[in-house]
Amino acid sequence: MLKLIQKGALAGAMILAAGAALAEYPEKPIEVIVGYSAGGGTDVMARTAAPFIEKYLGSGASLVVKNMPGASGQIGVTEVAGAKPDGYTIGTFNLPGMMARTIDREAGYDRESFTYLANVVNDPNVIVTSKGSGLDTMEKLIAAAKEDPGAITVGMSSLGGDDHFALIKLEGLTETEFTIVPFKGSAPARTALMGGHVAMGILNISEVASFQDELNVLGVATEERSDFAPDLPTFREQGIDLINGSMRGFVAPAGLPEDVVAKLDDAFEQMAGDPEFLKAMADTANPIEVVTGDDFKQLTSDLYDLANKVWQETPWN
Amino acid sequence: MYSDLLNALPEVFGLANFLAVIIGVIAGIVVGAMPGLSATMAISVLVPFTFGLEPLVALGLMAGIYNGAMYGGAIPAVLLRIPGTPAAVATTFDGYPMAQKGEGGFALQVAVVSSSIGGIASAFALMLLAPPLSRVTLLFGPAEVFWVAVFGLASIIFLLGGSPVKGLISACFGVFVSVIGSDPIFGSDRFTFGKLELLDGISIVILLVGLYALPPVIDLLETPLKTGVSEDKLGTEPIWKALPRMKGFWKTWLRGSFIGIWIGILPGAGGSMAAFMSYNEARRASKHPERWGEGEAEGVAAAETANNADTASALIPALTLGIPGTAVAAVMLGGLLVHGLQPGPMLFRDNPDVVFGFMWQFLFGAILLVLLGGSLATNSFARLLNLPRPLLGSIIIVLMLIGVYSIHGRMFDVYLMLGFGAVGWVMDKLKFPLPPVVLGLILGAFAEENLRLALRIGRGDWSVLFRNTTSLVLVALTIAVIVGPGLKQRILDARKARRQA
Repeated sequence: MLKLIQKGALAGAMILAAGAALAEYPEKPIEVIVGYSAGGGTDVMARTAAPFIEKYLGSGASLVVKNMPGASGQIGVTEVAGAKPDGYTIGTFNLPGMMARTIDREAGYDRESFTYLANVVNDPNVIVTSKGSGLDTMEKLIAAAKEDPGAITVGMSSLGGDDHFALIKLEGLTETEFTIVPFKGSAPARTALMGGHVAMGILNISEVASFQDELNVLGVATEERSDFAPDLPTFREQGIDLINGSMRGFVAPAGLPEDVVAKLDDAFEQMAGDPEFLKAMADTANPIEVVTGDDFKQLTSDLYDLANKVWQETPWN
Repeated sequence: MYSDLLNALPEVFGLANFLAVIIGVIAGIVVGAMPGLSATMAISVLVPFTFGLEPLVALGLMAGIYNGAMYGGAIPAVLLRIPGTPAAVATTFDGYPMAQKGEGGFALQVAVVSSSIGGIASAFALMLLAPPLSRVTLLFGPAEVFWVAVFGLASIIFLLGGSPVKGLISACFGVFVSVIGSDPIFGSDRFTFGKLELLDGISIVILLVGLYALPPVIDLLETPLKTGVSEDKLGTEPIWKALPRMKGFWKTWLRGSFIGIWIGILPGAGGSMAAFMSYNEARRASKHPERWGEGEAEGVAAAETANNADTASALIPALTLGIPGTAVAAVMLGGLLVHGLQPGPMLFRDNPDVVFGFMWQFLFGAILLVLLGGSLATNSFARLLNLPRPLLGSIIIVLMLIGVYSIHGRMFDVYLMLGFGAVGWVMDKLKFPLPPVVLGLILGAFAEENLRLALRIGRGDWSVLFRNTTSLVLVALTIAVIVGPGLKQRILDARKARRQA
């Protein structure tokens, strides 16, 4: 009898303890691993989001951003994939880059390595041409590309990134051929465009928002017009079904306890509706598109398949 | 536009904003003076903290650090032959011999005055000429930038004197190091042995610290224990007494400022190339070039003017186009983004107070340098030489380890640095010049990437490299640098022969 009571008490205590643990997540600081150095676009997103996540997680939650730059974000994301799945390590995640890296090299993670929390930013691609090229409409651009395949040089930030995939899609949709010139980052690509060293560029809308007078921006790869440039027509309006962009969000290691996932998902969803957060992101030129949980996982999977298809047809290294 | 410039001024004199510049300058000098710690690192450590600060406080700190560190690098370069920053390599050429002759104090004063003049000239260029100068940057596409890199490599190999063959071998070593990491176009791995740590290539700071700081430290420890240079041998004198001795330097200052500003607006090359070119040009213009390298104060002036003159001008392409002229400017760009300041033509219209305030802070940072730098260096750092050698050597080794570890927070870099140290020691003993290694690493990567981009633009046609005037001018300069010295020698010989005949 005594034993039974003892057992019962022990079990009760354990349930209580477990309940307390549930109620208290997070009971210590949560580390947010950013695979880029401080001050980059991904870092700014993480640091802008952190106070809002803290607010919506409640119970004195605190997020600590840790920069682990290197290897185009791979060092950081590999660290997240290998971290203990207890909710105290989360990290930033970039699409389609993080998936493309699992195809073009040996990576220490794959798409099953993560619990997908939320995608926050979707920065759509735009096609721009230099003022001197005279190609100021999509029609003229496509005509010129058809006339002399490969004659049009396209500046972009790297191979295997969102801009590269956008170009592959464009080539498929319009049956054209371009010459890719992959700079190291989008700012050098944009500068080469302004100097007329390349004829066309594929960039992201946040990168051309303040350069609209210096470049011809021909269209944006979204379903509906972007708030960043409401006067800019989509490609769809121009008869080309091109939708593509660069995405940034948050993931955690795979195998996160369900209750922790629920709490984090909830916090991200509340953040997505916070006007203060939306304003802070707009101020740092980050177009928002929040996708959480399973939808985010599906999105990642789709992009992996796209990257894989491109890799099979036209490997870039 | 110029009225915006004046409107921004009152804010800059706010207590917190001005204090930030002062603290930044002092911190910059200290960081620059420590081998292994660089301005790039100090500012990248600072960026996360600036989230909570007012923009002008944060930017003032950065402007101060940048200015301070570019001069701070000269302190160990003069006293110990260890450049504190990559840009201070050229300062060792004449600064260290001066210190050996008992003129170390004067060398530091020349350095601080020259740094300040370069910084002031650069700040004015940024304030008054940013938009027109950014047009110049646009002229430089991949083909032109490739020639800038080739020109830089050629001048360092052929103009620095000594044996061109050894210089070439050193430069090749530097270029080889630049090849390590992911391929700039395709991203495939090169010489990384599966190490993610090597994927981004080898940081210039790791190479510099290993090559430059370790061999002198070994020398320090090799020589038997003895007391250092005494106070009077350092040759410290008040700055107003030192100033009249610099009155002949104005041409060097002017030339150095011009070269520094020019190199600053070209993307990527940065302070070390500016300092080398200014040193070369000043030596060429000198009446007695044979004295250079043996303690010519003008050499210190040339190098230090130019490496500070590229500070503010490197921000011209950074602010107007989003492409930083130097590694430090790249980190500062991150600091601007944190405060929602997007680079581009709209920046000057949307945030004139902050942008122009930042420019003023650069100017005041440069002016404060003379006031703070002179006394700080001669009264505290110069006394370093009085420390017992084993103690000094150990302190430097500790600083090197901390500095290199803190770049990415990993031991891998420390081992790499020690490896380069061993290479540097051997090169030093065999009298291979070290500067070409540093420039080889910086410019090699730069030349490769841009050559390949240019060839892609030309769809494989090499004539793309010679298609416009800017390229052709650079090609001509490069040829002049390579054949110039030999030709000059031949003409001199011929004249001599004729006279004898």
